[in-house]
Amino acid sequence: MKTIILGAGNLILGDDGVGVHVANELKNHIKNPDITIDEAITGGMNLLDLILGYDKAIIIDAVKTEDGKNGEVKKIPMNEFSTIHSCNPHDISLSEAINMAKKMGENRIPKEIVIVGILMKEIPCEFKEKLSKKIAEAVPKAVKIVLNEIR
Amino acid sequence: MRTITIDPITRLEGHGKISIFLDDRGDVADAYLQIPELRGFERFAQGRRAEDMPQITSRICGVCPVAHHFAATKALDAAFDVDPPSAAKKLRELMYCGYIIYDHTLHFYYLGGPDFIVDPDAKPEKRNILGVIEKVGIDVGKEVIKHRAYGQKITAILGGKATHPVCGLPGGVSKGLNKDETKEIEKMVKSCIEFAKFSLKIFDDIVLKNKKYVELIKSSPYQLATYNMGLVDKNNKINFYDGKIRVTDQKGNEFLKFDVKDYHKNIEEHVEEWTYTKFPYLKSIGWKGFTDGKDSGIYRVGPLGRLNAAEGMATPLADKEYKRFFETLGGKAVNSTLAYHWARLIELLYATERAMELVKDPEITSQKVRNPVGEPGEGMGIVEAARGTLIHHYKLNKDGLIEKANLIVATTNNAGAINMTIRNAAKGVIKKGDVSNETLNLVEMAFRAYDPCFACATHTLPGGLPLEVSIYNHKKNLIKTLKQNI
Repeated sequence: MKTIILGAGNLILGDDGVGVHVANELKNHIKNPDITIDEAITGGMNLLDLILGYDKAIIIDAVKTEDGKNGEVKKIPMNEFSTIHSCNPHDISLSEAINMAKKMGENRIPKEIVIVGILMKEIPCEFKEKLSKKIAEAVPKAVKIVLNEIR
Repeated sequence: MRTITIDPITRLEGHGKISIFLDDRGDVADAYLQIPELRGFERFAQGRRAEDMPQITSRICGVCPVAHHFAATKALDAAFDVDPPSAAKKLRELMYCGYIIYDHTLHFYYLGGPDFIVDPDAKPEKRNILGVIEKVGIDVGKEVIKHRAYGQKITAILGGKATHPVCGLPGGVSKGLNKDETKEIEKMVKSCIEFAKFSLKIFDDIVLKNKKYVELIKSSPYQLATYNMGLVDKNNKINFYDGKIRVTDQKGNEFLKFDVKDYHKNIEEHVEEWTYTKFPYLKSIGWKGFTDGKDSGIYRVGPLGRLNAAEGMATPLADKEYKRFFETLGGKAVNSTLAYHWARLIELLYATERAMELVKDPEITSQKVRNPVGEPGEGMGIVEAARGTLIHHYKLNKDGLIEKANLIVATTNNAGAINMTIRNAAKGVIKKGDVSNETLNLVEMAFRAYDPCFACATHTLPGGLPLEVSIYNHKKNLIKTLKQNI
């Protein structure tokens, strides 16, 4: 089974880049040639392009929630998650992109798409490279969840 | 006029926020837009190697990595006092055309287009790309996907990965093109030209042949008579990659023309206490508040700003469309905000035609793609990002490390105009306190026409344009909040 693991986020926006930190850490644990690990500073349509052709996609991303605890890690099924990294006004959400691709008869959409979300109250708008303490502590938790997911 | 001050506590980051203040009759007294602003870039950049800036800044935004990449690269050309070989400039511009092709396609069909193609009165659940496809048919939808992907493929061939280009270096680019690559690009560009023509035809058939749409475009809430700004070549034709900054007045006459290095002589930024966004304006006119007309220094950038600021397009088909645009909409300058959509398609056609010229240029396969750099100093770089003029400004120390860095992004250049557009649209559609979701969409349409970029990637549940509209009564009490995608 061909799997892609994508760390979404922006490494120069502090906690926003947590998904990429997780993906980089996973590279130390995964040596399976059927598993691709990459980063994505992008959303919606571009994200869809990256996962086409794989059987399974695992996307790790920062998720802003009102009620979630800062630093909590959660596996979120695609149907409960209507967007990822694409609330930028200049893109559509991943779920919208997938719905459209399905309608077009696209047959390379992964059968399984899993989102591993690192919950946070605010997504930072300030340039920096370091993660905050709480979010840095979430990295090993997210790594564990992804490793379980590919076992 | 009452002065309304919004407590800085209400500054909200992460999504767009529109605050609308009603008077005692329930009509709109004023409206403000706040958009998230990325902060701390200067501090972040300080002490870094200048050569890293094209890569770092291409990560600022998942939306226009190519624009930032080349604004940074061009700023470094200037800072290292080097003029790239002609082939390198052509390769950069060709790659840039690929970016415009995918970005303008995405906006027209996926984001702004749903307002026009589907129907401005359509239910929110239909106003999306699926609604567009329902209207134009699945085959057209496939063409849209194909050509957006072609644009990305062109940037990827030239720039490494489409999402993080790595080709721009001070003095040139890292590699040239081979013959097979040019053949592949040519084939894609050929198809893109037909697609751009087809897109203009769709606009013609669905929008321009529909009286209701044309009336909406011309209606007063969507008019704004500001100055206009864009890059032009030596013949005053639009160019995305290089040229001089030209500013025209409300009648389309040239008001200013200058090199990017003189930006600060001509442009100043106004600060308001209710937002982090700065509002640039023409220095010689001055800041007169959020008002348009020749006495106000506010200007517009982006597709409509560029068309107004130029005297035509440098390629034949796009130039024909350019002329038709002004004939149809009543001559220069076109002040209708909703005309941004049409202007964007004309630019799409230009980008495809220009890409063809470049890829067929015998010099494009030259392997002389870099000149040696000089001593580090100070430099500014400018490009026309899809949504408007983008400038990077760096000052390097003698070791080639960044001492000072500043970015002036497209949406900031448009900030004053966007704010007024929202206020005018709100005034036009909200009467006697009647604020419905449909009304909200008419206000939002005005905002979306600019293709604004919030710069930071916001992840919020669920997807779509994250926007919050708060309505306050004449006592400044919050009476209604409409949240969308927050």
